[in-house]
Amino acid sequence: MIDSAIRRLRFEIFRYNPEDPESKPHIDTFEIDERPYMTLYMALSEIRETQDPGLQFDFACRSAICGSCGMMVNGRPALGCRTLTADLPEEIRLHPLPAFKLIGDLSVDTGTWFREMAERTEAWIHERLPFDKDAEEQRMSDDIAAAIYEGDRCIECGCCVASCGAANINEEFLAAAGLNRIARFMMDPRDGRTDTDWFEVVAGPEGVFGCVGMMACADVCPKELPLLDVYAYLRRRTLGTKIATGGSPSE
Amino acid sequence: MKTTAANTNVVDSSVTARRQMVYELVSGGTGLVLALFMWGHIVLVGSILTGERGFNWMATMLEDYYIAQPTVAAIFAIFIVHAIFASRKIPAQLQERRRMIELAKGLNQSGREKVPSRRDNSPFVPHLESMLWIWQVRTGMVILVIGSFHLILLGIDVFTPLFGEHPGIESTTSMARVAAGLWLPYAVLLLCVEFHASVGLYRLAVKWGSDFLPHRRYLHRIEQVIFWLILGVGALTLLVLAGLVAPPLEFLLGEVSS
Repeated sequence: MIDSAIRRLRFEIFRYNPEDPESKPHIDTFEIDERPYMTLYMALSEIRETQDPGLQFDFACRSAICGSCGMMVNGRPALGCRTLTADLPEEIRLHPLPAFKLIGDLSVDTGTWFREMAERTEAWIHERLPFDKDAEEQRMSDDIAAAIYEGDRCIECGCCVASCGAANINEEFLAAAGLNRIARFMMDPRDGRTDTDWFEVVAGPEGVFGCVGMMACADVCPKELPLLDVYAYLRRRTLGTKIATGGSPSE
Repeated sequence: MKTTAANTNVVDSSVTARRQMVYELVSGGTGLVLALFMWGHIVLVGSILTGERGFNWMATMLEDYYIAQPTVAAIFAIFIVHAIFASRKIPAQLQERRRMIELAKGLNQSGREKVPSRRDNSPFVPHLESMLWIWQVRTGMVILVIGSFHLILLGIDVFTPLFGEHPGIESTTSMARVAAGLWLPYAVLLLCVEFHASVGLYRLAVKWGSDFLPHRRYLHRIEQVIFWLILGVGALTLLVLAGLVAPPLEFLLGEVSS
């Protein structure tokens, strides 16, 4: 794209403001000239500056770490900040991520979804023993530390949720982001929760067996997390679990 | 077992969870059995490639030792159980099904456009598996109809003397039926079954073993090879049954002495 003719990009952008009773969902078209190394973030900013100051979209870090700029780009969830227009045809269709509450135009509320997921899965360490400041820190093998770190790289952009067939029709489904979070705590030796404690969340209707196996989550993940490996791990791990019965749920 | 009011809820949700796990194991397990059976099936029906003598010998042998009869009954039962449990993931509402199809099509179309400046490591590559799932549902519906018909027909063949001269599978009856027009639904069934089974095995492998099996790119390639191989042998078998092609392996059984 260095010296070839400059392309004229045509953006077809979904527009709708749920706050405004006058607003009807529709598509607006904008045209701009492509520049070298242009990202969707740059293109959308240019459209907002020069053509429509009312265009809503989310950005913060511009370096694929904050997870706010997930959007449907020609039918595929992607981060606006790290998507180069050079990878796309001249016609670029942008829609907000499905499966999340729409704030307006391309902006969606992923925060509420992730907060609810974190509360449901109690996504924090449940200490095995009370903290003792004098005791030596518990050791962890490199393999486990690396596996936990891998799961923790999730930036909560919601691309996997948006690409998930099950999550698109069942808003309770934990989806890859939620199950990845669970797996991270199940692997962690510092967490006191047993497989029995996890069972009803992991194996429940909104857990790993709600997955239909479309496998898109792993392919659209901007951080390339091994989400299918997480699913396989959780599926096998639930198999051997003793489930809690009447008298002693913690047993 | 006594449960107090306080923990009834906990017990209920873990029982629900266990039920989900059992459903998943039943649908996957029956699918695995049926897919593996279909490989055996292609060998059995493929005996027609050695001519009518080979086919009848195979059929009579399986019936005389009472292998065919319980197998037909068991496969029919597993077939129904698989249909019930595997279909639980198909959304009930038309609107939900449309949503899934729309999503799968979008993922599948993305990256198909020719873009001269696209980098080698562009994330925009067509995503196949979502669409494979949709097609598995569609072929599953076709199999439920034509497969039921086929299983009932074979049940009649094996258990009653209604078609042919005695109870059992006979090459004359089978070939006459296929030539008379049954080749069409059988060709559709063959295509649907082989697609459904090979994609199903691939999905099953990824679902349960993604972290220790070879990368799914290779699993998918293996799946494709198996699909085309079985489809080829199946198509040839069907052509021979319809009487359009002479049995290519007839020489294996030697000259007929009579």
